[in-house]
Amino acid sequence: MSSSALARNAGDAARSSSDARLSVEQVSYAYSANPSQAPLFTLEATSFQAKPGEIVAILGPNASGKSTLLKLISGALAPLSGRILLDGFVTHSLTPRTRAQRIAVVQQESRLLFPARAWEFVLQGRHAHSRTLRFESEDDVIIAKNALAQVGAADLSDRWMDQISGGEKQRVILARALAQQPLLLLLDEPTLHLDIAAQVDLLHSLRRLAAENRYTVVVVTHELNLAAEYADQVVLMQRGRCLRVGPPAAIYQRELLEQVFQTPLTVALGSSGRPHVTVLSER
Amino acid sequence: MTQVSIPRFQSAVCVTVAAMLCAAPPLLAQSASSATPAATPLFREVTDEAGRTVRIPQPVRRIVSLAPSLTETIYDLGLQDRLVGDTDYCDYPPDAKTKTKVGGAINPSLEQIAALHPDLVLMAKSLNRLETVYSLDNLGISAYAVDPHTVDGIISSSKKLADVLGAPEAGDLIAANLQRRLADLHHRIGALPPKRVLFAVWTEPLISIGKDTFIADALRRAGAVSIVDSSQDWPQVNLEEVARLQPDYLVFAASHAESVAPQLDALARLPGWRIIDAVRDRRYAVISEAVNRPAPRIVEAIEDLAKQLHPEAFAEKPEAGKEKPGKEIPPPPHQSFLHLPLDIHSSSSEALSRGGCVCAR
Amino acid sequence: MRPLTFRRLFFQCLILAVILFVVVVVAMKFGAVPVSLYALGRDVLRFLLGQTSQISTDYGLILWNIRLPRILLAIIVGASLSVAGTSFQALLRNPLADPYVLGVSSGASVGAILALIATPYLALPPAVSALLTPMGAFLGAAATIAAVYFLGRREGQIDSTTLLLGGVITASFLNAIIMFLLSTVTSGNTRGMAFWLMGDLSTSYQKSVFWFLGIGFFVATGAIYTTATDLNLLLAGEKEAMHLGVDVPRVRLVVYIAASFLTGLAVSVSGSIAYVGLIVPHIMRLIFGSDHRTLLPTAALGGAIALVFADTLARTVVAPTELAVGAVTAVVGAPLFIYLLRRGAS
Repeated sequence: MSSSALARNAGDAARSSSDARLSVEQVSYAYSANPSQAPLFTLEATSFQAKPGEIVAILGPNASGKSTLLKLISGALAPLSGRILLDGFVTHSLTPRTRAQRIAVVQQESRLLFPARAWEFVLQGRHAHSRTLRFESEDDVIIAKNALAQVGAADLSDRWMDQISGGEKQRVILARALAQQPLLLLLDEPTLHLDIAAQVDLLHSLRRLAAENRYTVVVVTHELNLAAEYADQVVLMQRGRCLRVGPPAAIYQRELLEQVFQTPLTVALGSSGRPHVTVLSER
Repeated sequence: MTQVSIPRFQSAVCVTVAAMLCAAPPLLAQSASSATPAATPLFREVTDEAGRTVRIPQPVRRIVSLAPSLTETIYDLGLQDRLVGDTDYCDYPPDAKTKTKVGGAINPSLEQIAALHPDLVLMAKSLNRLETVYSLDNLGISAYAVDPHTVDGIISSSKKLADVLGAPEAGDLIAANLQRRLADLHHRIGALPPKRVLFAVWTEPLISIGKDTFIADALRRAGAVSIVDSSQDWPQVNLEEVARLQPDYLVFAASHAESVAPQLDALARLPGWRIIDAVRDRRYAVISEAVNRPAPRIVEAIEDLAKQLHPEAFAEKPEAGKEKPGKEIPPPPHQSFLHLPLDIHSSSSEALSRGGCVCAR
Repeated sequence: MRPLTFRRLFFQCLILAVILFVVVVVAMKFGAVPVSLYALGRDVLRFLLGQTSQISTDYGLILWNIRLPRILLAIIVGASLSVAGTSFQALLRNPLADPYVLGVSSGASVGAILALIATPYLALPPAVSALLTPMGAFLGAAATIAAVYFLGRREGQIDSTTLLLGGVITASFLNAIIMFLLSTVTSGNTRGMAFWLMGDLSTSYQKSVFWFLGIGFFVATGAIYTTATDLNLLLAGEKEAMHLGVDVPRVRLVVYIAASFLTGLAVSVSGSIAYVGLIVPHIMRLIFGSDHRTLLPTAALGGAIALVFADTLARTVVAPTELAVGAVTAVVGAPLFIYLLRRGAS
């Protein structure tokens, strides 16, 4: 089982390791664009843990290594050092199929080469659970239907993917991820192309789903307030370094955020009890 | 259906279908040799000019020719009654056009050939495709190939063919006839210096003939030598090179000289061609298309060319229009210089249309 | 929501199989030599009952030894090209991909030309020398498959864009070699070669060739079919496919080798027949959708139907002269493709 050494936690109670579903342990990554050059460190050793039902936000400005960290967690990249454990299994060493049964990644957009209907799209999520040359079973169909219902997109079932709006598409993509019945849900900047209502809607759904289905959710974002409002834990990144891990209250300190985001701001306590950031206009 | 039995049903159907489909092609493609009648008892094995061993049923009663030159040769041998099929391009003698057509030389219809139940299919290695040979082999139809590269080769080829077809006397007759005429020609012009010529198969682009072709050899027999020295059969020639070599004559092969006349005139007006003296001075020789076919008729074209290039050797011309016994009627005389009137209506054309043949008399 | 079931797939294939059967019957009837349907039916019955000796010898040879094998060849070649085309379109994520885009047919043509040039110099028994051209073509195809594979790798795995680039460049290079060979070769029959390059089903092959084709087709198509759902997901994007559980490098390798093998099979016996591998997948996609579990078998059947039809035209339109079947598919296929393009754009 995992042992953790969280050096940079501020004010968090000792967690019992058996609670943690996701354990990121001293994970780092580097790549060299050119074999003759020295490798560029995109991510220095980072660690955090997450429990079932928790939403973790990886927060930081551009080029802070957020996406790299997410890719490492998803198994798309192998860490240079350290390891990532999901319920005790090292994610990178799993086969793609097994990994897809536990980890679902929600992309920002989906470019389909040939048109497909929403239900076909969602059914793709069942691929990891079906054997070769098996046709979808009734169970698969039920799970897919449920997934669409859970994101409130049941009425989109028969629509063509290229004919629905961005927000609707995002919901269908999320439904596909849910159809995988994963333990871990990863989202990379999911709010990027959505309007405000859709953004709130999405994160609200995530919180509900995480609670109902006991998912662990990791969201990469640079939206300060959304992260503050919905995340249980925040991993603050800057230029490939993890500066701090903790609940929003511990992370949202004015000096720290100003240093990371390079812009004057104020932090106040919002009505929900969560911190709220106001970015100040220039001079 | 429960979930468990679906995969079994699926796989059962799939395996059955796959097995059936897998076995079908070879089963259906098997030669229906059991459907053909008992093979004729007599066979003769010969080696053809492509080096293949051919089993020929005896006697050879039904022949299909896949090359116009071979069709002509069959008529020359007097065996045209045995010819049951030829290609779309077999047009000489005119009676050849009445035979059942089996398609082109490189794309004949196997079905049509098979429907004629030939004993032997004749092919020319330089004209027909290797795949046709293999296909005929696969169907159990004998195919004999000729491949002459010289005028002597054409004569010996015809002789061998006559022997293969069971008519050696006709072959000997033709060979003797042609050899005599060539010897006579050599007697007249053998001592004369050969004229340097360019034989133009096509003008745009300029394509001539290679040194190893029978056409090149025919030119030599006619007292000419091709200025093109290439090992390819149909080399493309650079105009500048021709201008550098400045041939004495340009030689063209055409069915009717008058159809060629306007083209040759146009040639003299083209910038690239004007620098060639022979073009500027209109030193052309137009001979029959028979030169393109490796058949006995090529000797006529050789004689014709010799007369055009070395008229002084023929000062006392042989009696015009006289038919030598046992010899095919000569084609109408062709124009050597374009401004002279052309006479194509000779008495010989009538005899031509009847399809002259070499008969022992 | 109506997911694909085995029953639906079965019936879709059944319909196409029936159409194929009808087309085959029509193809058996028409040809340079006319055959009446009654006589055809009677002979089929006799054939199936094993009374082959009673089959009319008038046209028995023609039907069973020439026409039927040729139809079978058209079926296998058409099916192979269509499956290969479907696979390449998925593999390269490019609807314009056809079986020849990666240079396999050019390599096969070079191999065939070299075999034709070499034939006079090799003293082989006739049964073997007849196989020299298809074998040469197949070896040429195999060499090209290997070369393009190594060219198309990035960081040790096949990358779609690199593969496409490598394949296109290899195809151009090999085409240049073909031109060079055709214009300078002194021996061999280049006119016949040009005919072969256009795509032609008229050669009559031995039984062993059909065995090879049949088994090769089913093995390769079977291998591709096991990746059918993976291909569906690949169309959504490679990263996404991986996150959904597809072992992308393995699938790419299997599909690349199997589809190239199918192309090599087809080209080595029939030359490069155009448009079948490009258009049939699109038509089947229009009718049946993009699910590869349906698309692969229906494309195979559709390709067989298309090519039997085209070949029947090629050998009857100006009978007894034969058109190259590649010319027929091009004349019919190009306008059809333009129509599909415009329809897709609207």
